[in-house]
Amino acid sequence: MLEIQSIKKSFGKNTVLDGVNLKIEKGDVVVVLGPSGSGKTTLLRCINFLEKADEGKAIFGDIQVDLHKASKKQINTIRKRTAFVFQNYNLFNNKTALENVTEGLIIGRAIPKDKAIKMGKEALDKVGLSEKYNAYPSELSGGQQQRVGIARAVVLNPDIILFDEPTSALDPELVGEVLEVMKTIAKEGTTMLVVTHEMSFAKDVANRVIFMDGGVVVEEGSPKEFFENPKEERTQRFLRRVLPEDYIYNI
Amino acid sequence: MSNGLDFEFLIDTFFIALSGVPVAMIITVISLLIALPLGFLLALTRINKMPILSQFSRVYVSFVRGTPVIVQIFIIYNSVPLLLATIFEKYNIQMNVYDVNPIWYALIVFSLNTTATLIEVFRSAINTVSKGQLEAAYSVGLTTVQAFIRIIIPQTLVVGLPNICNATVNLIKATSLGYAMSLPEITLKAQVAANASYNYIEAYMDIFIIYLIICSLVEYGFKRMEKRLRKYKIAPAA
Repeated sequence: MLEIQSIKKSFGKNTVLDGVNLKIEKGDVVVVLGPSGSGKTTLLRCINFLEKADEGKAIFGDIQVDLHKASKKQINTIRKRTAFVFQNYNLFNNKTALENVTEGLIIGRAIPKDKAIKMGKEALDKVGLSEKYNAYPSELSGGQQQRVGIARAVVLNPDIILFDEPTSALDPELVGEVLEVMKTIAKEGTTMLVVTHEMSFAKDVANRVIFMDGGVVVEEGSPKEFFENPKEERTQRFLRRVLPEDYIYNI
Repeated sequence: MSNGLDFEFLIDTFFIALSGVPVAMIITVISLLIALPLGFLLALTRINKMPILSQFSRVYVSFVRGTPVIVQIFIIYNSVPLLLATIFEKYNIQMNVYDVNPIWYALIVFSLNTTATLIEVFRSAINTVSKGQLEAAYSVGLTTVQAFIRIIIPQTLVVGLPNICNATVNLIKATSLGYAMSLPEITLKAQVAANASYNYIEAYMDIFIIYLIICSLVEYGFKRMEKRLRKYKIAPAA
């Protein structure tokens, strides 16, 4: 459904993505792991054109786009088929939770207001925020804000949702509620590409894990083989660092 | 010379000066209508470092900011007629350049002046809205124009409003310099009335009060607007 071919991106002399290929099928939950600075976030941002790639191709269902010379129209089409959940939530500060969720429906997709409000309320109910329709972001906790962020993405019913470290900015005790919501929507068959440092999420929810380092994909596979039997030396070193000894994966 | 204040003159002149308010207000409102969008767009050229336009607005701001308004008035008021005269002569337009209503010159000076102030106001206000707001708007399928109208500008205004209020009040007060180009606004009208009888103190008191009232009303209006616009900031950050 989504295929990315040899995507490259540098910031000045610093090469962040050095030819990454990626293929995602409908219903996949793909988790991208890797040390910081390995290009995970940039990969996600390039897919949604928040960053302009230097090279590479995206095949999106029936659309084929050169990432470095996409037209405004192509960019808009792809953005309307994707949704993005940000590390810092990036909720519209001047809008209530419900308005945040309906903005993309009413303005971006020209859905009638009544219908959009109904869809927006359903999306907020799904992430457990039925009480907070009219709360402004400044009145919500980080976890609640991120759940609004997820509702804002889910309500658009996109082909794929891109998650950029959705729990990294949260206090530890708020991480759980966000991961629960992500698990729920994953079970409903939502296609997801998730950059995260939450190993438990990768193990329990993903059906494919990709390990990136230095701007390339080092290893990929099912969570089981990835965590139990990492083949590459770099992967093993990474896993040793992030997983304490007494917490080696076993089924 | 009279001893003490001439109260009758004070009151009469108050109403004469008051008749200059519409001219002062027209200049203020039209200058703002021109300067607000122009200042916003030029501020964007500076933030996005657009070639040529960004340098232009920087030089423009430093020129306007670095010279007194009264000097700008003298230059526009004296140079534009010369320019017009040449143009009229060339195209055979039968019109005396000195019949042009000074309000036009005032509009030019004060629009240019306020634009420069507002470029700086918007430049700092836009910078306070995080880039993530725009990215989030893109990610839900908004175009750049939609994102600015619905997300960025409302947030920019809340931050910029106190400074925009400041600029507006300064503009209202600056229109008093219009008397230098015989613009029939508040100050000139009171001065002319005082010239006849040398009751300058009374006239100046009238002007003083009128500007004070207008500026206080404007400030009050801005406070109300700010309160309404910033309702989304009611709670302390969680």
